[in-house]
Amino acid sequence: MAEMWINMGPQHPMTHGLWNLRVKVDGETIVDAQPEVGYLHRGIEKLVEGRTYTQVIPITDRLCYGSSLTWSHLYCLTAENLMGVEVPPRAEYIRVAAIEMQRIASHLMWLAAYSTDLGLMLGFLYTMRDREVFIDILQALSGSRLTYNYPRIGGVAHDVPPNFERDTLRACNYMEKKLKEYEDLFEGSKVFMMRNVDVGLLKKEDAMNLGVTGPPLRASGVKYDLRKDMPYSVYPELDFEPVTHPDGDCYARYRVRMDEMYESCKIIRQAVQKMPKGKWRVVAPRNGPVGTGLGRVEDPRGEGVMYIVGDGTDRPYRLKIRSPIFVTVSAAPKMLIGYKMADVVAIMGGLDMCIGETDR
Amino acid sequence: MNLFDFCYGLIHWLVDLINNIWYRLGDWLPWWFGDFFTGVGDFARSHGHIAVMAILLEVLIIIIIALINVLNFIWLDRKFMGRMFDFYGPYYVGYRIGGWLQNLADGIKLFVKEIITPAKADKLGFLLAPIIYVGSSFLALATIPLGRQFYIGTNADPLSTGVEASALIAFAFFAIAPFSILIAGWSSNNKYTLIGGMRSAAQMMSYEIPMLLTVASVFLMAGSFGFMGIVDAQHDIWFGIPLFIGLVTFIICLAAEVEIQPFDLPEAEAELVEGWTTEYCGMRFGLFMMTGYLRGYIGGALATALFLGGWHGPAFLPDPIWFLIKAYIVFVLIEWARWSLPRVRVDQILNIGWKRLLPMAILNLMIAVLLKTAGWF
Amino acid sequence: MAQKRKIPGSGGIVIRPMIRTGKQFVNSFIKGKPNTILYPYQILDLPPTYRGKHTLDFNRCIGCGNCIQICPNDCMWMEKLEDPELGKIERPGVDMGRCLFCGLCVEVCPTVAIHHTVEFELADYKRDKLRYGPKELRDDKFADKFKEERTKQRLPVLDMSKCTSCEKCAGACPEMVIAMMPIENVGRSKPEINLAKCTSCEKCVIVCPEKALEMKEIYESYFEMPEPKFLLKDCTGCGACAKACPADAIYMLEMPGTEKILKDGKKGKPKKRAVFVLEKCVGCGKCFRACKFEAIEMPGVRK
Repeated sequence: MAEMWINMGPQHPMTHGLWNLRVKVDGETIVDAQPEVGYLHRGIEKLVEGRTYTQVIPITDRLCYGSSLTWSHLYCLTAENLMGVEVPPRAEYIRVAAIEMQRIASHLMWLAAYSTDLGLMLGFLYTMRDREVFIDILQALSGSRLTYNYPRIGGVAHDVPPNFERDTLRACNYMEKKLKEYEDLFEGSKVFMMRNVDVGLLKKEDAMNLGVTGPPLRASGVKYDLRKDMPYSVYPELDFEPVTHPDGDCYARYRVRMDEMYESCKIIRQAVQKMPKGKWRVVAPRNGPVGTGLGRVEDPRGEGVMYIVGDGTDRPYRLKIRSPIFVTVSAAPKMLIGYKMADVVAIMGGLDMCIGETDR
Repeated sequence: MNLFDFCYGLIHWLVDLINNIWYRLGDWLPWWFGDFFTGVGDFARSHGHIAVMAILLEVLIIIIIALINVLNFIWLDRKFMGRMFDFYGPYYVGYRIGGWLQNLADGIKLFVKEIITPAKADKLGFLLAPIIYVGSSFLALATIPLGRQFYIGTNADPLSTGVEASALIAFAFFAIAPFSILIAGWSSNNKYTLIGGMRSAAQMMSYEIPMLLTVASVFLMAGSFGFMGIVDAQHDIWFGIPLFIGLVTFIICLAAEVEIQPFDLPEAEAELVEGWTTEYCGMRFGLFMMTGYLRGYIGGALATALFLGGWHGPAFLPDPIWFLIKAYIVFVLIEWARWSLPRVRVDQILNIGWKRLLPMAILNLMIAVLLKTAGWF
Repeated sequence: MAQKRKIPGSGGIVIRPMIRTGKQFVNSFIKGKPNTILYPYQILDLPPTYRGKHTLDFNRCIGCGNCIQICPNDCMWMEKLEDPELGKIERPGVDMGRCLFCGLCVEVCPTVAIHHTVEFELADYKRDKLRYGPKELRDDKFADKFKEERTKQRLPVLDMSKCTSCEKCAGACPEMVIAMMPIENVGRSKPEINLAKCTSCEKCVIVCPEKALEMKEIYESYFEMPEPKFLLKDCTGCGACAKACPADAIYMLEMPGTEKILKDGKKGKPKKRAVFVLEKCVGCGKCFRACKFEAIEMPGVRK
């Protein structure tokens, strides 16, 4: 059969979100690949112009609906950098606990989609059941299940509910038990290992040259985690280790994310136990100064950056968003060439693509 | 009592009932109608006519049993999956009987859908593929006896063992299916179904061979090609116990033939939408799905008859019930493995088929030869 | 755990996952029902902070319109109503079809009149039915059943029409929080209270002879609202701003020495000017919109 271009087109059950992947196939082997994004562009950076600093927070929630606390927290960090606002320590600890819970929920959702693509519907239902535990805690904390609208410029919206500490510690214990169960379910079956080991190799130099960040970078052996290398918020006082894995295949990316969930449980325990008493919110100035602000954060998918320009009024002049998946997906050809068509699912699933933040 | 005797008696009683009215009608009417009625009545009472009707009734009974079992399998599949995945299976439709009527609701839904044929599809192949698929599976079903007295056949010789070589015929019909899948995949005029059809044909073909080798070892041990002979040879000990490797190989090959996870790459793949059945709508798709489960039932019945002792069991339940219980146990085992394992990639499937199962089947054959020549069977 | 490499295929080939699913199957019969909520017959119980349909307390709402201004999606509008007890009032309505359920309107309300309830079943057949006017949102008893989360303080509130500028309150305050600021062209001074430093000791209220100061429960606000800037030279004393202000923060005081001599020798009425009590201002911008002579400047508020 001659080489032909196949469109794993915008409407497809495998691709989470709306993007197009064109692969050039010779029989069963992949010879070339071209990802095409942009089908979900909603004009978020334009929507932000003309809204006040507080009105922007629900909009940044909807950037990546899989892990929305990360983006509203990033926006608040950026705006606080611009205005020079000091956040009280209790608010910082609450934010860290909520973000790490959001990280666990986001990784669990990744695992659900990944295992369904590989054919194991069991993974979907078990992980969603466990994700409910964390979503319920975040719901009691902020009032909503998916788009929380919880961080504010100058702190968090309101204080934690009663029983927050007890529920959170129970959830962390439950999660560690369940992670052992997942190891049984996934790594205990030879079929899963056959589909993941030595598939989709991404070498260290390629990853660094292409600007890949987050779990795919750490799975290729590079020890780079923004929470340790450029710490923000209250992370210098917490004790944890970024996770790396020496091979660069799909199994390594899976392993890195599972171990990140362990580390997140550790961080949540420390944050909840070290939380001081006091104020949780400071009044932020209404008018932003003339100037610029920058914020960088470790998203569950990579490194997210926001850059804001203020012009003296109470509405920002420009907000620029750098999304991690937009850069990581350009490494797709390097990972796909040479493998079979049936591996596309495993490889692209390992990148955890959330198209909401790619296309903004 | 033989199934044939039962059906014969039933039809005879029915014909007598109708003939009461028929003859009276013939006597009442004038001669040019009356002779006609009497002639038809006499024809209906003849042995040949009742025998043919009895055979048709037998066929109907076996088909109804098979289809009800298929409905049960689908229901059990969904309930079982539900409890393993921590939710309820079908719950509301048929609330009191656990949701069994969900099958009927799904069937009605499939009937009322609009049937579309793609414009550029090869019309003859498109229409023929479901017919061959379903027809060959039902033909394979027809040769399997459910009990010592429960099979399609006449009682011409009461001590006969049914059709000679019935197991060979069953496997022959069972193996026509890849042919129809290729026709379906190719005539839909779609890149993806073509790939799906080719993959499916490759998979099924490569798993036929270990299956037939395993079955050959059973034929060797039993000394006959027919089901009656095989099951009778198991009255001391089931063949599954000395030929345990054969049993495991047979069940794995069965899962690959019926296209059940973990081997369902041609069908429910995440990248090929529905595989080779993509372009079929409405009840045509329903036929494919039903035949998938029917082949699962046939495979379970074959495994029971060949390895698990057929209908032998303690005498408090009749023979067909034991047969069905064992077929259900095989089915439950396959289902349990189905929902616990991810899908295997296509070249790995072929790997498993040729490199792992074929040596196991040959080992099994050698064990059978050893046991037979040692005189234990 | 993080660094060592797992050898593939260790353990049974298919046995370990099958044991897990078998356990789950058995548990779902023994340890209780599966983890499903059969929706129309059973409902998830939601925490009280859940953001569902709004509810409006007509008595507390002052009709300022802060909620309408802060809504990110322009979902709210103001409706003029005639209530038998409260007279002619303005209350907001919400378009649930556009609402994000973000909770910002609840946070910015100065009197905590609008709340989120737990009700979420709001689907309807027509898009127009999703626009809930204030009468459909009205629930005056909600605050009794609801545990309030915003902190409130008792703080002194000034009624300028009774004040005589006697300066007794500024002398009585132990923290020196009250400062007497002169009002231009009126010749009197008015007390300005720094509410952030007040300790609610109530001495100023007891001391005031005209009872112009009153202790009220004020809710803490975390938003910095825009403040109006008053330009005296453009003010004509029409009083439109004082009528429009929902929080009673503007008073019209007479300027002595501006009476005109009329033709028959009598003195006419003196001109008035607006006096702002900025501690009571909620930042709604109604005075800014009411003034036709552009005597009030308020950056950031829509016209």
